[in-house]
Amino acid sequence: MDYGSLAFLIPTLPVIAFVLTLAFGKKLPSGGGHIPIIAIATSFVISVLIFFQIGKTGPVEQSAHWFSVLNVGIYIDQLAVVMLMMVTFVSMLIHIYALGYMSHDDAKPRYFAETALFTAAMLGVILADNILQFFIAWELVGLCSYLLIGFWYKKPSAAAAAKKAFLTTRVGDVLFLAGIVILYFNMQKFVLPSLGSHDIVYLLQFSTIFENLQMIPTNQLTIITLLFFGGAVGKSGQFPLHVWLPDAMEGPTTVSALIHAATMVTAGVYLVARTFPMFVAAPNSLLVVAYVGGFTALFASTMGLVMNDIKRVLAFSTISQLGYMMLALGMGAIIGGEAVGISMFHLINHAFFKACLFLCAGSVIHAVGTNDLREMGGLYSKMKITAITMLIASLALAGIGLPFLEIAGFKLGTSGFVSKDAIIVEGAWSYAHFTGDWIPFFFGVSAALLTSIYTFRLWFMAFGGKQRKELHAHESPSTMTVPLMILAVLALVFGSLTFTPFLGFLEGTYEEPYLEKLGEFMGGNEIQGIAHNPDTIILLLPVIVGIFGLVFSWAVYHKRLFSVASIGHMGNPLFKILAKRYYQHEIFIELISLKFTYGILARAGEFCDRKIVDGIIDSISSFIVGGAEVLKKIQTGVVQNYATVTIIGVGLIALILSFRGVV
Amino acid sequence: MLPVSYFLIVSAIVFSIGVYGVMTLRSGIMIMMCVELMLNAANINLIAFSSHFSQVNGHVFVLFSIALAAAEAAIGFAILMSIFRSKQNVNIDNINVLRW
Repeated sequence: MDYGSLAFLIPTLPVIAFVLTLAFGKKLPSGGGHIPIIAIATSFVISVLIFFQIGKTGPVEQSAHWFSVLNVGIYIDQLAVVMLMMVTFVSMLIHIYALGYMSHDDAKPRYFAETALFTAAMLGVILADNILQFFIAWELVGLCSYLLIGFWYKKPSAAAAAKKAFLTTRVGDVLFLAGIVILYFNMQKFVLPSLGSHDIVYLLQFSTIFENLQMIPTNQLTIITLLFFGGAVGKSGQFPLHVWLPDAMEGPTTVSALIHAATMVTAGVYLVARTFPMFVAAPNSLLVVAYVGGFTALFASTMGLVMNDIKRVLAFSTISQLGYMMLALGMGAIIGGEAVGISMFHLINHAFFKACLFLCAGSVIHAVGTNDLREMGGLYSKMKITAITMLIASLALAGIGLPFLEIAGFKLGTSGFVSKDAIIVEGAWSYAHFTGDWIPFFFGVSAALLTSIYTFRLWFMAFGGKQRKELHAHESPSTMTVPLMILAVLALVFGSLTFTPFLGFLEGTYEEPYLEKLGEFMGGNEIQGIAHNPDTIILLLPVIVGIFGLVFSWAVYHKRLFSVASIGHMGNPLFKILAKRYYQHEIFIELISLKFTYGILARAGEFCDRKIVDGIIDSISSFIVGGAEVLKKIQTGVVQNYATVTIIGVGLIALILSFRGVV
Repeated sequence: MLPVSYFLIVSAIVFSIGVYGVMTLRSGIMIMMCVELMLNAANINLIAFSSHFSQVNGHVFVLFSIALAAAEAAIGFAILMSIFRSKQNVNIDNINVLRW
């Protein structure tokens, strides 16, 4: 049986679940939460079936006319099917977890309906076979994110965070849309003549774009890809549009895990991976991707060091890890299609360990009733399952593993170790080796060091040391701990088990000779491939910094060998700038929003509106009113005046007509 | 037989008297009478042309016109009666409430 024919069910089932949950959720036990779980589990099964047949039958392609100038359809290749499985699987686990986590909330039907719609929209992004359909689903994802961040809309901070997220990502979305428009014009101008005018419906399809890429001028492609990357920057929280992501933690923790760690924020990475041939043909854009990604990785991890809210630490770590994925994609200028594989591999691993971290954080918050790390401590003895699963996920995030050692071809180490190692060594080091530009490598390694420090700071502050405060913590119910354990096992072994087959599988997405040709003839850039035999120190460096961070945090936050208070106070300028998050609030809100946008732009707009637009309308109306004041005096109420005027008028008409000789 | 222009001159004089009355007189009854004058001026015209062209159409129209004038007079005087009841006179100058 060809399972590709079932592909349309993958996004449709969650949509049906959304409608059913919204309509009947109130009457069902647990707010109808079982409906989306069943729907998404079915989608997951279909995705797995497609995964197993895709190697034999090739990509699933279905397309139909939509209006007269566009096609809609489904395109599942290796890249898409991997994302499909990850999204449905993580979403399913988080829905199961939410049965327990949201059990005390009154608005359960709304919650489950919105998460089901979100899952459907995300699957729509992945399945889209043309860029416009991609954009529509992308916007739906943004809407669901807005709704879920503001899930507790009665809390002013949650409402504000939802608004901030919506507006910030909107900046990126506008850029993305502009990129689509420019791409369409270029396709129409350069590609359509060779296709024939009845093929206009296929112009925005990925396959058409990729096949005819060499007809579009490189400088146009650079603009288009940079605009696309602008969209990715907004959605994936890259510098400078990352400001919404830490605030997005106002939503329920399950939402943070599902949307703002595992799936939605990776949509930007997926966008770059999906349009990767375009980026290869415009290597300058790839460099921008690499530098923005690398800088974001380092920048966000410095802020993660000083946050005291457990979820905010994880939020900054998410931004930082997304930076790694972008960095890996950017390395594609040198290492070619392998970059997509490495980046997606980190994306999948990150989804597992970050979802696990967030759900552990949720379990802790559920148990102790506070987000503040300074009030936690010594929870290990009370919440063993949560503590151990979180430790495993933290090890994965910090990238702890054993380099050099391989058993039967499998690398030894957590999944984060395998994928981050691949990014730093195979990606950034190869890049440095061939170009002599060590900056991305430096970004990667220093971010890895900081990542390790803040990750274990988080773990030791929550679970290690002595109790700081009397808390009636208890272990969470099994609907919450079972997903934790599944995710923790995946975070531990997924990377080492699947590294080689995963990269081999994803190589089928884009053909390497095709990419090489694109890079060379369009961008004048030679794809070199992965450099071999790095120095020992290069291989060791990511692990050394990881272990150093672990030991450092253990000494400071568990044993408390020396106090952080001596440097961690507001008098220390370095600490202050981190705690203030590089004055982002001051720059973004007070300078850009209040002073510039409100103070200058909005005031100027107000002046135009009030004085010029309104002024013209007002003077027209006052002219008419004034004229009427004069003219109304004619209406005297005396019938004889009217008769006189009528008679004079008729007489004049008769006179005129007789002079002109009509009568 | 008199030429038709004689009748037209008489008709024009009668009509002018009527118009002048409608425009200048104050009493409602006098205005009604002037309106009748104007109608009859038109009737004279109709009859004159009718006999000039030896056709009966004009006569028929005059009959209609007289009936119309009778109806108009009935309604007009009824209105004047009710005005007189409320204002104690039929001076048109005082009836100017329908204005700005």
